[in-house]
Amino acid sequence: MSAPPGQANPVRAFVAQLWGSVFRHGLPTNDKVAARTALTNFFLHIHPVRVKKSAVRVSYTLCLGGLSFFLFILLTITGLFLMFYYIPSVDSAYQNVKDLQFVAVFGDIIRNMHRWAAHAMVITVWLHMARVFYQGAYKPPREFNWVIGTFLLLITLLLSFSGYLLPWDQLAIWAITVGTNMAKYAPIVGPYTRYLLLGGDQVAQGALIRFYVLHVIALPLIGFLLMVVHFWRVRKDGFTGGL
Amino acid sequence: MATVVEGGRDPRGAVTPRPQAPISGPELASTPLVIRRREDEETVVTFPYLVWREFLAGLAAFVFLMLVSIQVNAPLLQRANTSITPNPAKAPWYFVGLQELLERFPPIMAGVAFPSFVIIFMILTPYLDRNPSRRPQDRKVAIVLFTIYVCLAVAFVVIGEFFRGEAFNWDWTLILGHPGLSSPV
Repeated sequence: MSAPPGQANPVRAFVAQLWGSVFRHGLPTNDKVAARTALTNFFLHIHPVRVKKSAVRVSYTLCLGGLSFFLFILLTITGLFLMFYYIPSVDSAYQNVKDLQFVAVFGDIIRNMHRWAAHAMVITVWLHMARVFYQGAYKPPREFNWVIGTFLLLITLLLSFSGYLLPWDQLAIWAITVGTNMAKYAPIVGPYTRYLLLGGDQVAQGALIRFYVLHVIALPLIGFLLMVVHFWRVRKDGFTGGL
Repeated sequence: MATVVEGGRDPRGAVTPRPQAPISGPELASTPLVIRRREDEETVVTFPYLVWREFLAGLAAFVFLMLVSIQVNAPLLQRANTSITPNPAKAPWYFVGLQELLERFPPIMAGVAFPSFVIIFMILTPYLDRNPSRRPQDRKVAIVLFTIYVCLAVAFVVIGEFFRGEAFNWDWTLILGHPGLSSPV
């Protein structure tokens, strides 16, 4: 469709308006536009506009921090799907998980993915920490981001541990029994901590609802908040790169 | 155009600068909106350079997890039953190292002192390590200590997971199989 001379093509003008209303920039055809894209896009502002090439080499970062975040997102999405089916009651939880595995369409793949991604995240977060240590990237001015990272590792472990109980099978209940028995050994506060965590002396309904609430709301929220600060400080404290 | 140099208390003096060509000429003129690094190292625009790599890494991870999830089912045993204790009862694998410690040390040490020590030490690492250099050859002590910790942590998890059978006793048959049987039990 061609416009008469001296008049703008109305379709092209509309497309331009539509694009311009969503994105405040063109396609990143050169560095100038690419820089403006990164500056004005909400989702991209997690990154600085430019970084040292050596700081983002795959052989330097091994993608471990990014993969951990990706797994967190994947776990949030698959977890949401699981929540549609799962009722945190000792009477129905096990049957819900059975249904997910054998009845719900793609339920088995979603549950498998949630489980394996959770194990993978424990590993990637741990390796990310080791990578940062070996490169001395925790040194000033990044000391406090290392501290936040340590708490993120603990949150990751607690997220995985709290999710362990939810299928309410023999593996779940006994792993949590063994795990929470360890808390008993702390002097004075130990038994109280265990009682508080389980909502009783045994791993029963009280423990299931507590672990569920921790797993789907409390821990992800705390983790997300810590992640936001962690990423912000990665930007603000500057990148290391090139040993 | 003003060159903004990032400040901060990064002791860059300790890091040997790499011999690299400084940004100059046409490249300098074509990089607006830039916070340029003091050492004028080669930089790239994060979008699309870095974002593209992140996308590929995420895609690869997703495809890998999808293939695993199609092939391997997550474990689901019998319904929870407090009157039937499995033997051995094990913690999740990342806590099995702690369980292994409990076999070897008094509970107050293995269950409380060691883990607290590790967590506190980890948090304090950047404040205890006063060495400003990031080069491996300057950090031999830190690297050796951390490597010992990593090896111990991995070893305890592997022992607890693969070498502990009934009643958490040492059991070679978990990986070697029973004598006279063709496959591990």
